[in-house]
Amino acid sequence: MAVLDARNIVKIYGDSSGEAATTALDGVSFSMNKGEFVAIMGPSGSGKTTLLNVMSGIDSPTSGEVTIEGQKISKMTGNKLALFRRKQLGFVFQEFNLLNSLNVQENMMLPMILEKKKAAEMEDKVQDLASLFGIESILNKYPYHTSGGQQQRTAVSRALVNEPSIIFADEPTGNLDSKSSTVIMECFEKIVHELSTTVLIVTHDVFAASYCEKVVFIKDGLIDSYIVKKGSRKEFLNQIMDNLAVLGGRPHDL
Amino acid sequence: MTFKQIVWKMAKVHYKKYIFYFLCNSLAVMFFFMFMTVYFNDQIVQVKESESIKYLLTVPGVALVVFTVFFIGYAHSVFMKRRRNEFGLFMTIGMSGRDISKLLLLENGVIAFFSIISGILAGTIFSRLFFLLLMNSVGLQAVPFHLNSEMFMYSIIIFLIVFTIAVGQSLFLTLRQNVIHSLKSDKVTESIKLKSPLIGGLGLAILIGSIVGLYYTYSDPAISGDYLLLWAMATFMGLYISLHQFTSFFIAFAKKNKPFYYRRLLFLANLDYKFKQLTSILMLVTAMIMVTILYSTITLFTYMLTEKEAIDSNPYDMAYIQTENKNNLNSEELYSIVDQKENPINERLLIPIYSYYEKHPYQDWINVYNFMSVDHFNQLTSSQMELEDKEFLYYINDELENEGDEGDQGISFSFPNIKGEETYTLKETIAERNINNLPDLYDFIIVSNSEFEQLNNKIDGFESNLHLINVANWKQSSNTVEELTGSFKNYNEKTPPNADIRTEHYSEEQLFQVASKVQSYDRNKSSNGISFFVTTFLSIIFFLGSFFLLYINLFSDIDKEKDRIKKLNNIGITTKEVKKMISREITTLFFMPTILGTAIALLYIIAMATDIGGVMKNPEIILHFFIVAGIYHCIQVGFYLYARKKMFSYLTGV
Repeated sequence: MAVLDARNIVKIYGDSSGEAATTALDGVSFSMNKGEFVAIMGPSGSGKTTLLNVMSGIDSPTSGEVTIEGQKISKMTGNKLALFRRKQLGFVFQEFNLLNSLNVQENMMLPMILEKKKAAEMEDKVQDLASLFGIESILNKYPYHTSGGQQQRTAVSRALVNEPSIIFADEPTGNLDSKSSTVIMECFEKIVHELSTTVLIVTHDVFAASYCEKVVFIKDGLIDSYIVKKGSRKEFLNQIMDNLAVLGGRPHDL
Repeated sequence: MTFKQIVWKMAKVHYKKYIFYFLCNSLAVMFFFMFMTVYFNDQIVQVKESESIKYLLTVPGVALVVFTVFFIGYAHSVFMKRRRNEFGLFMTIGMSGRDISKLLLLENGVIAFFSIISGILAGTIFSRLFFLLLMNSVGLQAVPFHLNSEMFMYSIIIFLIVFTIAVGQSLFLTLRQNVIHSLKSDKVTESIKLKSPLIGGLGLAILIGSIVGLYYTYSDPAISGDYLLLWAMATFMGLYISLHQFTSFFIAFAKKNKPFYYRRLLFLANLDYKFKQLTSILMLVTAMIMVTILYSTITLFTYMLTEKEAIDSNPYDMAYIQTENKNNLNSEELYSIVDQKENPINERLLIPIYSYYEKHPYQDWINVYNFMSVDHFNQLTSSQMELEDKEFLYYINDELENEGDEGDQGISFSFPNIKGEETYTLKETIAERNINNLPDLYDFIIVSNSEFEQLNNKIDGFESNLHLINVANWKQSSNTVEELTGSFKNYNEKTPPNADIRTEHYSEEQLFQVASKVQSYDRNKSSNGISFFVTTFLSIIFFLGSFFLLYINLFSDIDKEKDRIKKLNNIGITTKEVKKMISREITTLFFMPTILGTAIALLYIIAMATDIGGVMKNPEIILHFFIVAGIYHCIQVGFYLYARKKMFSYLTGV
């Protein structure tokens, strides 16, 4: 059964009948099964971030519906949606989205704290994830005292603490150097392989995308094509670049 | 593009930041200037030398200097926090320290200049307005509004000193610290380095010590308010140290108690994060609330006292002594003056008194013995005393402070030499106030009716009648009293003067004055008027000040706050949870200082009341305090609800 299922997603910004309206998504259908690791790629303005936002419930579609774990999130609103996202979904952002006032450990705990979990349980979870991602030594530091890579690993850990059924990542390597990017993408691999969590990332970074098992290309608000990893990562990377060249986007960050 | 153009362009882009900073500074100038218009007011300066008003101005003076220092410091640090990461950016792209200093000084100079002008202007307007409103509402004409050079000078000098120190410090920090620190200044937590429960304890000791000190200096009448300045400074210093230390101590303590800490993580972490800013604000608001409540209580007490004193010392609305040739208007004349249609006589009592004057054998001293018959005494005091011949009551027309006093007075009392050497026995001593204050009418000897009738055969005294009158509304009786006094004066001038023992210590005018409630009230009002005015004025300034402070603190950082809520929304926080979090933060900010300020004000009132005999003897002070504190808390709750609603709607859109 699909963990995520999006059907005929249309998203129009601005007044839908007005002239100033922009069609960001023009009837996208997309689905993911449990344990899949998928990247969405496309040129700037192709609608990839919009698609992620709509599928993760941050934004609502103009028409179409999104189902996650059998629940129609496109019909949910307000607090119900917030609670669903907190319990079922994990998020990783380009800007890390950590609170400056909390240290690394507290940032990781935040979703669990909102769920009112027990202190011991939270601490155990934090320890487990911190050792998995190698950030145990910075647990008591504040975000501004840690590197970008460490901050993003913190954010990934935070996305995982409530054991979500799917993790959405929007340009997770966008603010990182290539070494940190490698570490983060390896983290995502671990999530998929060791915790069998489903991960969907949006990226324009070919290198990051090459870690995924499947890359979906979108253009002008529609799914253009997709490729599935068969051989090594290196081969997959070349394949993605070729595909992007066809798509008309310029590959960055090589 | 020149340097100046760059500065100007940046100022235009970040105008909100400048406006906030500018408003804070002009507010500080305004408050200080308003205080100065009172402090250096000619009328107040005149009485300041002699009366207790000097002390009244001390605590607010200290509080206001504390306010100015912290408030400007606060506004400056908020401004610089945002500004410094821009400076960091400039320095990375190669701007020199000199350029940065130039920029910083120019900006601050311009802001200081305009703050002074607008602050003084607004201060003048508001001060003028307050003077006008207060004069009209109190009916006081004694304190006219005016401006003089001292007001301007002190306001400007003090502002400039504080401002220069703040700017100097920032300049020093910006130039000395590395660029990275400047760039990230926005994100750094503000925890303090000097953390120790010992220092906190010291702060608390200073706080408590200052109040105890106040209590003891006030209980010694010789020094009374002399050290008020010292104690007030110590109180605020102690308050700051303890707030500073105990907040950090509380956070450290909370962190140890995991379940407690995690449940309030967002709140406590934010407290820790904005620590310096928060403690400064808490301290300031506490100080302002304390002054507001303390001064409102004093105001209310003074106001109530004015009336209470008049009523206490004048049980009857009018009272006078009448003898055969003085004040002897006939009933018709009297009624035509006093018994007005709109304010008729309610009650009238006429008590014959027989007074015997005895010269003290050695000193220049006269003992006066006033006799009254028991029937009249009963009428006066609404009691049912009965006296045999040769018995007497000793009646003191006063409320004695201690129960034991009457006994002592009774024992030391020696009966006058009555022809025939008769012995009279004291039946009882009674002390209660039933007669207005009139010369030589402090105590009485009450004898049986038959004895009273025969007194003039036995001793050589003076016959007189004590007239006691109540009208419907004493507050409306001032014209009547004036008219009556005038008529008596006319009458008394036509009769021969009393040149006997009665006029040796008092003039005829004093002896035959009309002692009235209304005049006593007016006298009290004008002597208390200036303190009343000053305390009301200060209460209002501080009241408004505390609200401005809270409001500014809440809404100056709201964009950052919105950003934080957005981050939380991203990880799935519900509106309800956001509201709870905001509520918790605002509640602390609003009610911690209110409770602290109220408590300190109460302690100050208890301490300061020792010079009028302590709160136990004046329980109404505590009552007044609770009335004022109650009203204040109600207003605070209202403001809290309003601010919370506004925060909610801004931050959650609900």
